[in-house]
Amino acid sequence: MSQLTRRDLLKSSAALGAAAALSPALGGTAAAQTTQKRELITAQGGDISKLDPHYSTSSNDIRVSFNIYDNLTARHPDGKLNPALATEWKLTAPTTWTFKLRSGVKFHNGDPFSSADAKFSIERTYDPNAKTMVATALATIDRIEAPDAGTLVIHTKKPDPLLPARLAFYGGQIVPKKYVESVGNDGFNAKPVGTGPVKLGSWTKDDKLVLEANDGYWGGKPDFDRWTMRPIPETAPRIASLLKGEVDIITQLPADQGERVAGNATTRVVGALYAGLYVLAVNSKRPPLDNPLIKQALSLAIDREAIVKELWRGRGIVPSQPIAKGDNHWDASLPALPYKPGAARDLLKKAGYKNEEIIIETTVAYLSNDKQMSEAIQGMWKDAGINAKVEVIEYSVRAQKNREKSFKGVFWSDPTSTLGDPDGMMWRLLGPGGPQDYWRHPKWDELGNAARFSVDEKFRAQAYKEMTTIFFEHFPWLPVIQPYEDYGLQKYVEFGPNPNQQFEVRKFNLKFKRA
Amino acid sequence: MRGVLGFLAPKLLRALVAVWLVTTVVFVVMRLSGDPVPLLLPPDAPTSEMERVRRDLGLDRPLPVQYLTFVGNALRGDFGRSIHFREPAWSVVVRYLPATLELGLTSFGLALVVAVPIGMLSAIKRNSPIDQAAMGVALVGQSAPTFFLGIFFILTLSLWAGWFPTSGRGSWEHLVLPAITLGAFSMASIARLTRSAVLDVLRQDFVRTARAKGLPELTVVMKHTFKNAALPVVTITGLQFGTLLGGAVVTETVFAWPGIGRLAIQSIYNRDYPIVQCTVFLSAILFIVLNFAIDLLYGVLDPRVRPR
Repeated sequence: MSQLTRRDLLKSSAALGAAAALSPALGGTAAAQTTQKRELITAQGGDISKLDPHYSTSSNDIRVSFNIYDNLTARHPDGKLNPALATEWKLTAPTTWTFKLRSGVKFHNGDPFSSADAKFSIERTYDPNAKTMVATALATIDRIEAPDAGTLVIHTKKPDPLLPARLAFYGGQIVPKKYVESVGNDGFNAKPVGTGPVKLGSWTKDDKLVLEANDGYWGGKPDFDRWTMRPIPETAPRIASLLKGEVDIITQLPADQGERVAGNATTRVVGALYAGLYVLAVNSKRPPLDNPLIKQALSLAIDREAIVKELWRGRGIVPSQPIAKGDNHWDASLPALPYKPGAARDLLKKAGYKNEEIIIETTVAYLSNDKQMSEAIQGMWKDAGINAKVEVIEYSVRAQKNREKSFKGVFWSDPTSTLGDPDGMMWRLLGPGGPQDYWRHPKWDELGNAARFSVDEKFRAQAYKEMTTIFFEHFPWLPVIQPYEDYGLQKYVEFGPNPNQQFEVRKFNLKFKRA
Repeated sequence: MRGVLGFLAPKLLRALVAVWLVTTVVFVVMRLSGDPVPLLLPPDAPTSEMERVRRDLGLDRPLPVQYLTFVGNALRGDFGRSIHFREPAWSVVVRYLPATLELGLTSFGLALVVAVPIGMLSAIKRNSPIDQAAMGVALVGQSAPTFFLGIFFILTLSLWAGWFPTSGRGSWEHLVLPAITLGAFSMASIARLTRSAVLDVLRQDFVRTARAKGLPELTVVMKHTFKNAALPVVTITGLQFGTLLGGAVVTETVFAWPGIGRLAIQSIYNRDYPIVQCTVFLSAILFIVLNFAIDLLYGVLDPRVRPR
């Protein structure tokens, strides 16, 4: 059965209709599974909190908000940037991007979409009066012009090669100017209107959110009349609801539960390689972690193969670099990070390590397997002669420590590659002033800064290569695993998971197999 | 009338102090133990952005100022705006209330209807197989953690037998498993207490007298014994209703039941202060009203505690 899972995976990362091609391998009954359902029911770990897309970046919320609204550009499950409300875009000057907008698009309330809405939406994200939660998402923008209804010209403060990628993620959802201005921010949050494939039906908090299909969607009506999203916080009941056939798709399927879903006659598992890494971020300011040799030893003493195999049941890969596989500039020639406890011991001796305590601060189940991995790594480090200690902290405490930069040693982080590019991951988090700014290196900073503002991809590739080399000397992160994010589905559902926590229900990505 | 007032006034005063203490403790603990702002913003938000949001939410002001504002507003019935939902806290909490009441009252009714007769039967047929079986089940019901019991019911009665939906709220079928799960502990403790209370009374002289008079056993049990055994049962039952609301946190989470308990726990994780304060306030009030009701019921059941 694990074979089936792996194959499903390969498929899902490729293209659509994957499952259909695979089905014969599943055996007769499975292949025959179809449905007449016109309602999609999904379950996730928590309810959404807000319907206004500019007031939240939580994964529970964006699964829905990216479907109520469209962005100018869209990152599809295959990882590629596709046209959405913008049909084409190009760099017309070093700091100017010009977007051609789709014509004939209507908001759910019937208002036509135009460049005025796009300008309003983007400016709203950083408008101090709007008090949004995405004020920094599009902060590279200087000013926006809307010369005609179908054209948008965006001027950036400095050259920004990644602007189209930024517009595909949070902050980039387009809201209707006229409607938002007439009902106000609270009114809009209560009764949202977008251009997306679904519109709000009803919402009973923590019970069900009902979304109706947008019949006139420019990308085609979705393959259902109605989508009900149910929050089921506990994993066991969430899986039970799938196995019993009450829901069609569940999110956040833990690696150790995959076999139950895959082994069941009517359900299967699909997963996408997470667009990011799970790392132990290092507070390099705290001795002895200010010594690069010690950090090299810490990395060498982690048996990542064992973690992937034992704790993740093979649902992940061992990272080879600080750039996530699937991103721009990921270097295929680098080998997986090695496990060499002997070499680690030698390095410790050379570094003059005096058995100082190294604290691993971990949450419980905020990241999958965080506590288990911490304990495993503590053991591995002990074996290599490192005095490690695990301290458990609650998530909101972690958030506070993150803000105050007061971690005592190493701590878990799941850097997401928001832009499909190292700029949106290692530079965003480890760069000067970033949330994990615990380590500075003049050359590294110079390269990261130059790559951010360069529109020359060859130059950027070289810069990230050199940054990776410096990274391996200093390990501001100890990359541990790039896991799969798994979903459980009924076999009659064809669905491609998105690597970056979006949940794509548009017609091209979600279909029911019908008899 | 004066008697009733003299009876109620000190209790009322104590109740008010209790509500004030509870809300104050929650106010302080919540604020000292975590910060909601980093949870609202993307992980890479700069410090200036954090400070801006803290200011918008009024969290940059000194704690005593925040506290006085909170008390002032609460006295006017305003619990502030939810940080997480961007709506008035009170209107959010009120929407979750019906689900919790539905579940709580059902399990409470279930517990009473099942537990009291079983307890009585156990007492009358003491040491019989019925008694032993009933008390054995009660022991399990009282000692099994709610979380385990819930998952167990989902896997057996829902997934395996297919009788009930796994989770969620809707038809009466949705209500069965959470109600049994939530009521299990109360059911067990009420049954055990009823049994021992009835046994106590059965040993007393007036029961022997009633039997000696030649009264039918049914009259002895229903009229003479049960009335006298009711007092401790009412006490524990009232208190159990309180724990039902507390136990709802776990049960509602396991069964994805959209009630106050689940709202409270999520709001604690989110450090959504206004919602937490509002739910705590509501629970405190509920407990106090319950205690009042029990006190009054005492007076009805036992003339000796009536105010003279």
